[in-house]
Amino acid sequence: MELFLPIAHMDVNIVLILLYGGLVGFLSGLVGVGGGFLITPLLIFTGIPPIVAVSSGAAQMAGTASGASHLHWRYGNIDLKMGAVLLAGSWLGGGFGVYLAKVLVRTGQFSNMVVFLYVVLLGVIGVSMLIESLRAIVRGGAGAAAASDGATAPSSPLRAWVARLPWQTSFPASGVRMSAAVPLALGAFVGVMTSLMGVGGGFIMVPMMIYLLKMPTRIVVGTSLFQLLFTTAAVSIMQAGVNHSVDPVLVVLLILGSVFGTKLGAQLGVRLPAEKLRLILALVVVAVAVKMVVTLVVPPNEIYDMTIEVR
Amino acid sequence: MTRWLRCLALACAWMPSAALPAEEPLVVVPDTKQVDIRMDFAGKEVQAIGSMNGPADVIIKVAAPQQEATLSREIKIGPFWIGGDKVKVAGAPSLLFLVANRPIDSILAPAEREKHGLLLEGVPVHVEPALQAQAADEWRKAFFRLKEKEGYYREDDRAVQVFGNRLFIAHMSLPGDLQTGTYTIETLLVKSGKVVGRDVAQFRVRLAGVERWMWNAAHDQPWAFGTVFTLAVMLLGLGLNAIPLRRHAEPRA
Repeated sequence: MELFLPIAHMDVNIVLILLYGGLVGFLSGLVGVGGGFLITPLLIFTGIPPIVAVSSGAAQMAGTASGASHLHWRYGNIDLKMGAVLLAGSWLGGGFGVYLAKVLVRTGQFSNMVVFLYVVLLGVIGVSMLIESLRAIVRGGAGAAAASDGATAPSSPLRAWVARLPWQTSFPASGVRMSAAVPLALGAFVGVMTSLMGVGGGFIMVPMMIYLLKMPTRIVVGTSLFQLLFTTAAVSIMQAGVNHSVDPVLVVLLILGSVFGTKLGAQLGVRLPAEKLRLILALVVVAVAVKMVVTLVVPPNEIYDMTIEVR
Repeated sequence: MTRWLRCLALACAWMPSAALPAEEPLVVVPDTKQVDIRMDFAGKEVQAIGSMNGPADVIIKVAAPQQEATLSREIKIGPFWIGGDKVKVAGAPSLLFLVANRPIDSILAPAEREKHGLLLEGVPVHVEPALQAQAADEWRKAFFRLKEKEGYYREDDRAVQVFGNRLFIAHMSLPGDLQTGTYTIETLLVKSGKVVGRDVAQFRVRLAGVERWMWNAAHDQPWAFGTVFTLAVMLLGLGLNAIPLRRHAEPRA
């Protein structure tokens, strides 16, 4: 069953795109990531022009995240105050990232930078999460999960330094107190990565909120989706406005698949222990990193590649 | 079919005046003047029916509008294959089909093929930035190789059927990913290794229906389109999630 995409200007298999959406939605609902790090490579692999893949992926994430955010809001899983600070940071960082991307494109290093960012970030974050979540599971469930979920007293020099920063404020929904500069800086970092990697940043944001901000996993998932919703919505509007590259048919197909995946993921997510949620995210992140390393190392069948200008 | 035959009969009526004096009479009529790309478009077979005088071979060249493309090349640094240099290529049609009633090499000598632009790799391709001849030639070869691999540059020696040395039908399968614009069908009649007749027809490929409306909205009012569409997908996501939520799941207190 083929369907023509008016902006990508090509026909695609409907079932395949619905499956992509379902897979990404499932992850989104389960662990609070938007799935941009999965959907963009999948769409490009299908032959969709990279700029359409990145832009439509952002619009799809906005659609998926709105449904998933609503679910988590009803479950009481969103820290609105934390989300607003993170969002302010990610918009600032996103603006800087767009400028940085422009410089990298001009010097011809953009695509290489993107690949290495993917490999390094996904690799480091994925392996750290994998080790931590396996340790938590081996240590035996509830006690360990509670210990790593709740706010803990600063024990390292970094945490002690963070505790002395100005603008200390409490985030009651997350049950933590810290300087607002911390989530603002984290949001800015994620914003830069969003502009450079074309992803919502959930796979960076989620582990950072768990390990750095010490927020409960349940709140992390909802708040990450809340931040993701407004970041990706802004990117979607800007990509449509500047590059004319958001394909409405592709986006609607992806959303149709993803909302049902999201619902399944969210329902499973509230039932699964936190360390198992982290293990699932870690495995997915590591798998994508390994796939990218393999792509980098295995000699290509054809060293030339052709990108058609969008018609 | 009836419509074609009517067209052909009409064309035959003025055939002698249309053909150049030195040329054999030849008239070709495509079965469509316009290919509309709609939501369910997944490619289309265009047929061209033609008439000729006596035994001859038929070669047809179908060329799409020109298209710009970027070619990139991976290079190996240490153990890694990473993106290296890239060039822009322009001037070549996005699609080029050569179809005939038997292998073109057995119909025309290489020099004649080149003279009449009947070589897939004979299209002039401009490479930017300007490079030395050998380097530019490597990029051109890669361009043609990729086009042929993707099925946009193709030679088919069975796509033309000749009936009783008077009529022929050519079948040309267009892929789903088509450049919009005017396509030319250039038909050459060959006798004893020489081109003795030529006719050119055209058809147009365009977006139609909802597809056209979406394309226009995305390009004419991009910011309004982006804002309205993004808000719409957010509402869609909300709405689709709300339906099963009411039936199966209750929020936690």
